[in-house]
Amino acid sequence: MIEDIVLLSRLQFAITVFFHFIFVPLTIGLGAMVAGFEVKYWKTQQEKWKKLAQFWGNLFKINFAFGIVTGFAMTFQFGTNWGAYAEFMGDVFASPLALEALIAFFLEATFFGIWLFTSHKKPALKAVSMILVSVGTMISAIWIITANAFMQNPVGYEMAADGSKILLSDFGAVLTNPYLWYMLIHTLIAAYLLSALFMVAVSGYFLLKKSNVDIFRSSMKLGVYVLIISAILLPCLGMFYGHYVGEVQPVKAAAMESVWESGSDKPMYLIQIPSNSGNIVQAIGIPYVGSFLLTGDPHGEVTGLNDIAEEDRPPVAITFFSFRIMVILGIIFILEALAGLYLIRKDPTLESSKSNKYMKLMLYSIPLPYLAIAFGWAVAEVGRQPWIVYGLYRTGEAISAVPAVQIIFSMGLLVLFYLLLFFLFLYLMVRAIRAGPEVKEHA
Amino acid sequence: MLDYELLINIWFVLWCVIWAIYLVADSFPLGAGMLAAFLPKNMAQTLQTAKSVGPFWGGNQVWLILAAGGTFAAFPLIFSKMFTWLYIPMMLLLVAIILRGICIELIYHDDNAKLQQVFRYGWALGSLLITVVLGVAFTNFFRGMVINAGYVYEGTLLGLFGVHALLGALLFVLFFLTSGAFWVAHKTTGEISERCNGFGKKTSIGVAVVALIYIIALFNTDGFAANYNVYPILYAVPLIAVIFALTCIALAVKKSDKPLFAFVANLGTIFFGAATGCVSLYPYILKSTINPEFGVSIFAAASSELTLTLMFYAALIFVPIVLIYQLWSYTRFKDKIQEA
Repeated sequence: MIEDIVLLSRLQFAITVFFHFIFVPLTIGLGAMVAGFEVKYWKTQQEKWKKLAQFWGNLFKINFAFGIVTGFAMTFQFGTNWGAYAEFMGDVFASPLALEALIAFFLEATFFGIWLFTSHKKPALKAVSMILVSVGTMISAIWIITANAFMQNPVGYEMAADGSKILLSDFGAVLTNPYLWYMLIHTLIAAYLLSALFMVAVSGYFLLKKSNVDIFRSSMKLGVYVLIISAILLPCLGMFYGHYVGEVQPVKAAAMESVWESGSDKPMYLIQIPSNSGNIVQAIGIPYVGSFLLTGDPHGEVTGLNDIAEEDRPPVAITFFSFRIMVILGIIFILEALAGLYLIRKDPTLESSKSNKYMKLMLYSIPLPYLAIAFGWAVAEVGRQPWIVYGLYRTGEAISAVPAVQIIFSMGLLVLFYLLLFFLFLYLMVRAIRAGPEVKEHA
Repeated sequence: MLDYELLINIWFVLWCVIWAIYLVADSFPLGAGMLAAFLPKNMAQTLQTAKSVGPFWGGNQVWLILAAGGTFAAFPLIFSKMFTWLYIPMMLLLVAIILRGICIELIYHDDNAKLQQVFRYGWALGSLLITVVLGVAFTNFFRGMVINAGYVYEGTLLGLFGVHALLGALLFVLFFLTSGAFWVAHKTTGEISERCNGFGKKTSIGVAVVALIYIIALFNTDGFAANYNVYPILYAVPLIAVIFALTCIALAVKKSDKPLFAFVANLGTIFFGAATGCVSLYPYILKSTINPEFGVSIFAAASSELTLTLMFYAALIFVPIVLIYQLWSYTRFKDKIQEA
């Protein structure tokens, strides 16, 4: 019975957090880009920048509207479904959440309202508001990842005398937790990658239609440049992140590569199918790469899952495949970015048949970075299991004693509601894209 | 360093103030949402109503996140119990928040008339549901809940929706409708402004009548008057609320060309009405109806001295900053909204 409640609570949290995160990356990335367009218009008064700001701002608006309210779902669930966790962790974990509201959410929400209802007749106020919204989204990312980083690598705390909860002992340590900064950079660059790819794809849609070509050539270029930078930075910095995970979360790291036997000089197998007790298939090993990925040293010593008690292992297959898929998608993004870079150099008008093919391909690629990000989070969160706070507090101990039937009710309600919202979101985004850059303003 | 006990008391006051600010700040967006279902005669008037709160509702709603997050940071045990014990109402609140937020943001998004009607009624329904849950929840906090020794909750879902709680829901609906009506009347011109002004007059009288019954019922609830009887000066708080409520009616009638005055008076009623309830809670936030000692007190639930100190200084710095730029944002949109 307790197991059911744990499972239901986890499922509900997973559904709500993944749904919320559909809207987050594009909000972060587009926010910065729209702020750029607004500033350009403010400084140059050229119609082109205004149109870009309006068109991309309109898409930003839809994402923002869905993103901000679906974020409530997590805060609520820490109380409704993870009450024991809230009591055990609150002293350390809740301050970043409250600070996020105090420092970031007010800024975002207030200036979003000002931006939305200010016309381009006041370009300075419009631009400054959008900059503040964009800064707000980034501050917000810092605080929420501070909270998450504590769950991955708890620091700056001490156990209460009676062992009933943990207490904050060093807030500086919580803020300088290396996990926070690795994860933050990884998440932000991924958000820019997703937004850049989205921008390339949507700009391509208009170039294919030969509508508003001068405007969308600009955003295509911007998109390709951001895409190539983020696509290359991600694996480079991601590698250091990986070494760090290998150091502080060796069990997660072993699950990511499905390494069962401890040892040094580990190869990485290109073809590998893990089960919960070992690898079923393992072929084409590349020597030393496994050790290098997990430790930064080709001869590095890796702890295998066989040396970890079974109750301390995460679901290996999910962690492994999520990681693999994320990496493969990351390679695809680099190739797509390089192709884009090649085309805008060789074919600046983007009218050749090669360019047309590329732009069609990019349209179909829109879901890929969403998947990559979702799988990336699955590695981080599923790979942390069975701990809700790594090495400190188990997920199974963290729940509220809520009758299972109530969780089923709330989950059913949320799933139905979210499905409806998802289709509404798609419909609105497609409509807003089709409508093109002629956007009416509220003010 | 402040003394730990003093710090906990400060956080109780902050808790009350943040919730009261939220109720005040969201009262008119929620009220405008509810009345959008039946007062506007056409879509142009609905959009006037929406635009009157459009730039502000989002920033105002963050006070609710801060209230929840602040409860979590300052009193984790209270946060946990409050949300767990009110599981179904909180989930309804969540759905309502999402519904309201998306609908109000998208209602002026495009010209699809059918979709606009969907957003209009979604906005109204979400607003109504948020208001009702808030009314029910706060009435339960003020009355106390069925909490046994060791924080064992013995209440039922149906028990949360008793007569008094439903009266609380009605009171909140009337409060927020009054806020919304006077705000829309102030911010708009033309027919919708007049209709809202007339409607606000009626609901402000409704507020006074229902509030009187509600508050008499509260003071007749076991234990509610305890703090008041220890410090009779505290009776000033409900008295101020009553004065604001009567002022609101007087202003609505005498200064009906300036609905902003009645609006502000109604906000005063809401603030001091919330304070009236909060006074009765101390030193608990979740009171027990079985035995006062079984309730969850702020001293049992408080975070460590370090966390409370940290959050206190953060609040001291950022709450005024937020208030300044939020109030400033109202000066950016001074023009009255005309029927388009």
